[in-house]
Amino acid sequence: MISGAGLDDFYRRRDWQDVGLAPQAFQGQYHDNYLARFVYPANEGSAVDIIIDGIRCASCVWLNEKIIARLPGVLAVRVNYATGRARVMFDPTNVTPAAIFSRIAQIGYAPRPYTETAAREAAGHEQKDLLYRFGTAIFLTMQLMAYAFALYAGYFQGMEPQMKNFLQFFSLLVTTPVVFYCGWPFLAGAWRGMANRSPNMELLISIGALSSYGYSLYATFAGGEVYYETAAMIVTLILAGRLLENAAKRRASGGIERLLGLCSGQAQRFAGETLESVDPAELRPGDLILVAPGERFPVDGKIVEGSTDVDESAATGEALALVKGAGDNIIAGSSNLTGAVRVRCEREAADSFIARVARLVEEAQSRRAPIQGVADRVSACFVPAVLTLSLATFCWQYSHGGAFGACLMSALAVVVIACPCALGLATPTAILAGTGAAAAAGVIFKGGDILERLSRVTVAVFDKTGTLTCGRPELVGIRPAGGTKRRELLCLAAAIESGSLHPIGKAIRDHAKANGIAYPTGTELKGVAGGGVTGRVAGEPVALGSIPFMKKLGVVGVPGAITAPDGEMVVCVARGGRYCGTMVLKDRMRDDAPGLVSYLNRAAVRTLLLSGDRQVSAGQAASASGIATGIGGLSPADKAAHIDRLRGEGATVLMVGDGINDAPALSAADVGCAVAGGTDIAIETSDLVLVKPDLERLALAHRMARRTMSVVRQNLVWAFLYNAIGIPLAMTGRLTPIYAAAAMALSSVCVVGNSLRLMRRTRG
Amino acid sequence: MASSLIALMVLSLFLGCGCWLFFLWAVKKGEFSDIERPKHRMLEDDDPPPKTKEDY
Repeated sequence: MISGAGLDDFYRRRDWQDVGLAPQAFQGQYHDNYLARFVYPANEGSAVDIIIDGIRCASCVWLNEKIIARLPGVLAVRVNYATGRARVMFDPTNVTPAAIFSRIAQIGYAPRPYTETAAREAAGHEQKDLLYRFGTAIFLTMQLMAYAFALYAGYFQGMEPQMKNFLQFFSLLVTTPVVFYCGWPFLAGAWRGMANRSPNMELLISIGALSSYGYSLYATFAGGEVYYETAAMIVTLILAGRLLENAAKRRASGGIERLLGLCSGQAQRFAGETLESVDPAELRPGDLILVAPGERFPVDGKIVEGSTDVDESAATGEALALVKGAGDNIIAGSSNLTGAVRVRCEREAADSFIARVARLVEEAQSRRAPIQGVADRVSACFVPAVLTLSLATFCWQYSHGGAFGACLMSALAVVVIACPCALGLATPTAILAGTGAAAAAGVIFKGGDILERLSRVTVAVFDKTGTLTCGRPELVGIRPAGGTKRRELLCLAAAIESGSLHPIGKAIRDHAKANGIAYPTGTELKGVAGGGVTGRVAGEPVALGSIPFMKKLGVVGVPGAITAPDGEMVVCVARGGRYCGTMVLKDRMRDDAPGLVSYLNRAAVRTLLLSGDRQVSAGQAASASGIATGIGGLSPADKAAHIDRLRGEGATVLMVGDGINDAPALSAADVGCAVAGGTDIAIETSDLVLVKPDLERLALAHRMARRTMSVVRQNLVWAFLYNAIGIPLAMTGRLTPIYAAAAMALSSVCVVGNSLRLMRRTRG
Repeated sequence: MASSLIALMVLSLFLGCGCWLFFLWAVKKGEFSDIERPKHRMLEDDDPPPKTKEDY
């Protein structure tokens, strides 16, 4: 399909290599009358917003845009890389929305109609609002700095008082909107903090900005030096940090929605002998539905007719596809790989596995109390201390016969000098530099507070499948029998699997390719659902599959049972009706897992493995990677509960996982880390994403987090050092404007410079 | 002298205002809603790129 459209380029451009969805998937899944309600009128024609699942790189965006645009009747298409959302304008007389949807589905992406939820809309608005405030702040602060430099020059060279007054008045004019409009989020936050009696970072920023604004306002009319630029600078720089942090968070907001999306779309329900498409929400226990290969099961249920291979990796994390036939249970959200089956619904969609996981995630997210950050803790002691000192200054000077105005100025000066930019900048700049450097090294932090939490982690919890293991089977053993040679057996197996999309077929082909074995393409290939493959290789009949499958075919010489260690899977190969050997497949451990575990041990972080798999395989995986304890047989809720218990004991927990079954645990942990190649939902519910499936990067992230926090502490010490000199001067009323200006500039430069060191030392 | 200075300051304020309005307009138009995609867009062309040697 992609080649047919002349878009072979895609294969050269993309940076990932696995097979997409099965091509036979998506037949008649999209119905115009269902999609009609998502279509809205646009300039010329109609438009529809589509979420495209599976967009992983810029090439995916390119491919989707090209392939949709070539559909006759499509007027314009734009795919947003950040949100994975496409807006398609089309001419309704020439093309239907269903045609657009199936077009996207044919190239292996999963399209879903997009409806804007209140939460997403709010996040978008917040980002825009911040942009407006920041843009305005930048513009006004630049104007202000021009006047401020003129005033600095005037201080040294002398200036006509009239001119000075004029400049000060202009400064007041541009600073007022910066403090009260651009700085409004901080002022509101400070007010909330005071109402809750918990002095926070916002209160510190607000006091800093308001006190220098108030001091300058007084000085403008009473005569004296002004510090408008301090107020404006604090607001502008901290808005910049906010903006960047918010942009990172916005991508993470759609987690639950996406999870539920796994079961969206249409279900095919039997009404007598005919099929009708219904919304999964309308399915009731007892309904009979047809699930075609390539679709996901919309609800939990039981197969009543047909057999197929089911990929339950979404739900259980199990990498190997399971054979399911009549009477077997089905979990909602798992995908049907090979055959059409009739399924009897057992639970309503709202009560399905996926819906329950979504609820768990939601609960865990609401339960997670925010950890008080360093900056907030500093503000909590610092703000009251400064206010007390300021009050003491006023009382002391006034009782010693100072004029009321002069005493007030001294008191305000204490607050102004005590809240220099440096203190406000200490945390944001270090965290910005730290997250930026981490991103360059392939670790995405979804917010500044994550760095701080990661640096304090005491327990690291790992998932097994897909996290410590590669998450897909690999060929680990070839056992020829009956005089067949190893190469010959591998060659046969690869040939018979040459057309297969099944993970086992792919594993066998990959192994053959890696060993430089050229295999012929099998003919008359036929996949038998839940059994294996038959066909002809070089004219001879060949079969590959499970032992029962071999027996059913009447193959001679098949052993009764093959013992395989836990976690391994065995398939038999037969040629000309005669058994000729087995292939052993296993989900291999990642090479870098032991390295990470030993790093964590050195860093005094306890390790633990929680798996949905059996206890034996959990124990094996734990010992293979050096993890102290491995616990198996846990449901998603059990994992989250285990993490809650650890947190209750006072531990700061890091959870590393990749599957939907890990999502509740990822959101319950203090820091959730998703590994690239994991499910979208894991990536979205986590706080930290490794962009390459390389666990060593987690060690890097941890080192980075600790280094960033030590820079934050250094910055705070710097800022305090200036305070230690400045506050006594201000208290005795001997604070000269030039010292104040120099202290502010110097301390800010020190802090920013110190933070920038983080950017430099990340290589290696 | 003072009057020319005032004129210059007002002028600079107007210039800045122009830029500011331009920025507000850009935000409204959604110029900043996707800052990832455009940088890849310029590297794309409709013709296939020249064949490169396989082994590099």
